[in-house]
Amino acid sequence: MEKTTEDKELKQIVTITAPAGIPAAFREGLETDKGRDNDTVITVKELRKSYGGTAVVDGISFEVRRGEIFGLLGPNGAGKTTTTEIIEGLRDADSGHVSLLGMNGLSRSSACKERIGIQLQAPSLLPLLTVEEHIALFGKVYRQCLPVKQVMEFVSLTDCSNKLTKNLSGGQQQRLSVALALVNDPEIAFLDEPSTGLDPQSRRGLWETIEAMKSRGKTIFLTTHFMEEAERLCDRLAIMDHGRIIALGAPQQLIDTYFPESAIQFDSEASLDPAVLEGLPGVTHVTRDDGEVVMYTADIPATITSVMQLARDRGIENKLKNLHVRQSTLEDVFIKLTGRRIRN
Amino acid sequence: MKTFIELLKSSIRQFLRDKGAFFFTLAFPVIFMFTFGMIYSSGDSFNADIGVATPDDSALSQTFIAAFEGVPAFTVTTGTQEELLDSLRKGELTAVVSIPAGLDAAEAAGKTATIKLYYDPTSNTATQVVIPIVNEVIGKLDRQISQQPPVIQLSEESIQSHTMRSIDYLVPGIVAMSILSTGLFCAVPLVQQREKKILKRWSATPLNRSSLIYSQVAFRLVLALVQTGLLIFIASSVFDVQMLGSWPLLLGIVLLGALCLISIGYLIASFIKTQEAAMPVLQLVQFPMMFLSGIFFPLAMMPDFMKPVAAAMPLTYLGDALRQVMVQGAPVHSMLINVLVLGAVMLVCMMLSIRYFRWE
Repeated sequence: MEKTTEDKELKQIVTITAPAGIPAAFREGLETDKGRDNDTVITVKELRKSYGGTAVVDGISFEVRRGEIFGLLGPNGAGKTTTTEIIEGLRDADSGHVSLLGMNGLSRSSACKERIGIQLQAPSLLPLLTVEEHIALFGKVYRQCLPVKQVMEFVSLTDCSNKLTKNLSGGQQQRLSVALALVNDPEIAFLDEPSTGLDPQSRRGLWETIEAMKSRGKTIFLTTHFMEEAERLCDRLAIMDHGRIIALGAPQQLIDTYFPESAIQFDSEASLDPAVLEGLPGVTHVTRDDGEVVMYTADIPATITSVMQLARDRGIENKLKNLHVRQSTLEDVFIKLTGRRIRN
Repeated sequence: MKTFIELLKSSIRQFLRDKGAFFFTLAFPVIFMFTFGMIYSSGDSFNADIGVATPDDSALSQTFIAAFEGVPAFTVTTGTQEELLDSLRKGELTAVVSIPAGLDAAEAAGKTATIKLYYDPTSNTATQVVIPIVNEVIGKLDRQISQQPPVIQLSEESIQSHTMRSIDYLVPGIVAMSILSTGLFCAVPLVQQREKKILKRWSATPLNRSSLIYSQVAFRLVLALVQTGLLIFIASSVFDVQMLGSWPLLLGIVLLGALCLISIGYLIASFIKTQEAAMPVLQLVQFPMMFLSGIFFPLAMMPDFMKPVAAAMPLTYLGDALRQVMVQGAPVHSMLINVLVLGAVMLVCMMLSIRYFRWE
């Protein structure tokens, strides 16, 4: 059953991307090529791991396809790092099946390690080596590696190439740590909370690096607790909470599935009774926070019209300030699924 | 092999940047050698200030003064008994020999005369060195005066081909001390890298984890050889302590000793989780070995109940082996026993650390 849905999705992509006027037979060929590009590089089935009787990973399954950015999104302690490290071969699972690049087993062979790059959550760097020496040393461990200069450019560390690691800022250390995951030009890069501790500017720089890797055909496996990051970068993501995957799909698909409503927001000094607002057409529910009213609706035009009408009737049109429509976000999805915000 | 060399180069680079480690492994033994070298190297030209009190200027008094002045280790001051005893009390003299008045007359009459020796009984030099020499000098003079040939003569023959000075004893000890700290403290970077998840990071790469250990062991061996070379160079050029034995044997002993202590270091690293905890534990192992294994003073000087402790310390065997090969010191154990003990400790610790070592 699952296979057919996947095939359908593929066909859809091909129909969209194949330029018009291409013979049907050729289109068929494209389709098979696409199929190969989308092959699965990571398969996780019924993975379980507990520490001291507490299930940290509680029977999760998912697949990651070649060339995509796959994200594990969830709060701290959701089991993201444990899952990632089991796939990387750094930890053993209690039960379940993991396959990485077609290789089974939980302990990774060096042939497999040649093809993956890893950034651990903790920077794990040698304090008395410079940036350049670090990248060069790690490069030496692989059969093939990228030129040191190129790697430094990737993560914008060229300016501090001769700085000792211990003298780098937290954000620079984090970027160096990401750089070490890229030295061997891996097919799959595992980045565990790569943007933690980065200022907004470096965070955007990192996103560009990750997107550049994707455009070169690399697969990126990413964990994060930043909604914005997941939404911007991930082709598909799994939302994790308490060791389980509570939702899986493309960000927009998740929003459409779990939170199809859009939000109409306005600052209100006017006393519009929430009960009245909830009675308006299309409105599912209304929240009020700090003078900001949020109306969730399945039918934007109908709701807007009726809100305007209501305001006009009461003569308070000019008091509906900052009225705007906002697309719902992954944050809304997470709140809806768990009843709390991702960052407590 | 390529990665091994890179890792080794990287270890050396990091070591040179670590000022603390650099000081303790290279500068400290050198400072130690200079400090103790200065103190002990003057010790072999032993000197004592002796007062000889004579009541008159008789020929016999002059003979006595000349006889004491003839002892190379004595610096002789003459004067009246009162003056000299006063100097002795002030500590300016080590001993005072007092020749009684009328010695000539006593000699002529064939009577026994008494020569008094004043000394401070708390002074080791006086009791251990000066009294025997004074006895010897007076005995010779007595025979000279009485014209009797000695019936028994003691002929001293040193069993060593050269005389052993304190500094000769000390130099191999300092070499052993530096190998001790270089070997044991291999645990520190390892524990540190495990704590900071660097070992975990390496295990995510194709790098064979054993080459990580090999490169660190190789680095420690290089360090031990550099230390030994440096110390031998200073010992021979500054303190005239020459390396007397075979260089290949010395090389073998230094490497074996370093490997033995490295494996003790790794065994400690297998059980200690944090760097903060590793330092005191290492020092707890290091200090007793440094002071109780006879590397700085002969084991014979130790109280008997301490001797089994010394025998249980691998450094005892390393120090003994180094002393035998470097300055031809008198063996405490045979070279074979030294080598076997070091090798056995190395193997046992190595096997235990392979069994108990945790990468994470």
